[in-house]
Amino acid sequence: MRYFWLILTVAAVVWYTFVTAYVAFKGVTDIREMLKKLADKK
Amino acid sequence: MTNFNWLLDGSIVGLYLLVTMAAGLYVRKYVGKVDDFLVAGREMNVYLGIASLAATEFGIVTCMYTAEAGYKYGFAGATPGLAMAASMLVIGYTGFCIKPLRDSGVITIPQLIEQKFGPRVRWAAGVVIVLGGLLNMGVFLRIGGQFLVTIVGLKVTSFNLFGFQVGYLEAMMTVLLVGVATYTILGGMLSVLITDFLQFIVMSVGLIAVTVLVLVNVGWEKIVTTVETNYGAGGFNPFVHPDLGWQYVVFQILLNFAAVLTWQTTIARVLAAKDSRTGQQIYMRTSFFFVCRFLIPGIWGIAALATLGKMTNSLDAMPTFLATFVPIGLMGLCIAAMLAADMSTDSSYMLSWGSVIYNDIMAPFRKTPWSEKKGIFVNRTIVAAIGVFLLFYGLWYPLEGDVWTYLGITGTIYLACISVLLISSCYWKRANSWGATAAIIVSALIPAAFLVLEKTPSTREFAKAVGPYYSGIAAYAGAAAAMIIFSLLKPKGGQEV
Repeated sequence: MRYFWLILTVAAVVWYTFVTAYVAFKGVTDIREMLKKLADKK
Repeated sequence: MTNFNWLLDGSIVGLYLLVTMAAGLYVRKYVGKVDDFLVAGREMNVYLGIASLAATEFGIVTCMYTAEAGYKYGFAGATPGLAMAASMLVIGYTGFCIKPLRDSGVITIPQLIEQKFGPRVRWAAGVVIVLGGLLNMGVFLRIGGQFLVTIVGLKVTSFNLFGFQVGYLEAMMTVLLVGVATYTILGGMLSVLITDFLQFIVMSVGLIAVTVLVLVNVGWEKIVTTVETNYGAGGFNPFVHPDLGWQYVVFQILLNFAAVLTWQTTIARVLAAKDSRTGQQIYMRTSFFFVCRFLIPGIWGIAALATLGKMTNSLDAMPTFLATFVPIGLMGLCIAAMLAADMSTDSSYMLSWGSVIYNDIMAPFRKTPWSEKKGIFVNRTIVAAIGVFLLFYGLWYPLEGDVWTYLGITGTIYLACISVLLISSCYWKRANSWGATAAIIVSALIPAAFLVLEKTPSTREFAKAVGPYYSGIAAYAGAAAAMIIFSLLKPKGGQEV
């Protein structure tokens, strides 16, 4: 079982690092689009 | 003892707070309708949704109870994270319940429930959701404050304010809440989403940095050896842990499946998504985060056990460990990350329970439609009132036992019945208001009875023998059985409840 938790820990740190960077980059575009659409609606 | 430096670390925290507040307040100008306030005009896309969902579902309270689980049960304490990740992946992939829910265009779950079971069941469901949700959230502030005063080294100290002795914990709670409430009241879901995004980044960078530091400086071998020495095989496998067992695993599966389906703050991200496909993608892509959510602070908890040994208060172990382990500079980032985590959770929770109060509990009082202006004003007032309630409840309620169990039991009051109502309203034609009412009563009675038995001296031993996991399982099974039996008992054309 200790190897199961080791693999899961490594996967968690690697996955979380990647997703943070990716979401930080792509999320800005999402915010811009959302605010633009809301401004257009108003 | 703490490594917190008021000049360097304090500046990092101050800068974070300033940027967040400014961003939260800036977007309030886009709020023109109730829909903008409650579901951000349903314009949220996938990546913003991932950031918001992850930030909302990770607060200081999460970090504290997951670290406590690691400290008390070893790696086995991260089992709920696996159950939640698997539930979210399956529900996201299949669209089970969340697709019909988003396609229906409702703002809250009770609104969908009304279409199947009528307005009275909608109202009752709204009351159960708000009661369960607010009781659950009631402990957030105190635990958040407890973490902050411990890590910056202000524990058991107070200061004089205009002749009154004010505790740092209470002052910290109040300041935290006022800041969060300000932008939530003004900008609603829009401010919540924008600040969630910033908070997700700050929180994640802080969590990753501290975890890497723990793994490098404490070391994997020492972490594993600590678990082996203190808990043996049970520290790795919940089925053989003497305090957990199969009943714990089954309860976690039921609890987390129901939470992913119906927890208002989670489901609010599906309802704010631009369409059901986007909602499903948010679920699928965020699912693994829930493994990190339990495992990362769990490792901090185990590291605290390895470094400090056994402590009387298991909840304090992780912040006490971090206070001297994290170096100056990184400490500021760590506290900013925890503040970010807490603020995003508090703001989303206040807005979510507020949306149910406005949309479902107050529905019978809106005989004629209210103007958008009045609707937004009422929503803002509700959020402010929730803030005041949380402040006082947080100060008064003495928390006993481990936090996750308290959250699990209070959450079950709501999750058991609402999940049964939601599933049957989406997929079972014979379901009706008799079954729905019986499910609500049964699912509220079982956990409430357990809490009462646990607090009453003469029945405390009996409650201890039953344990929170069996009573939790009974609530889910009982709610489902009540729905089936009473729905079948109702004659065709029988009177509505």
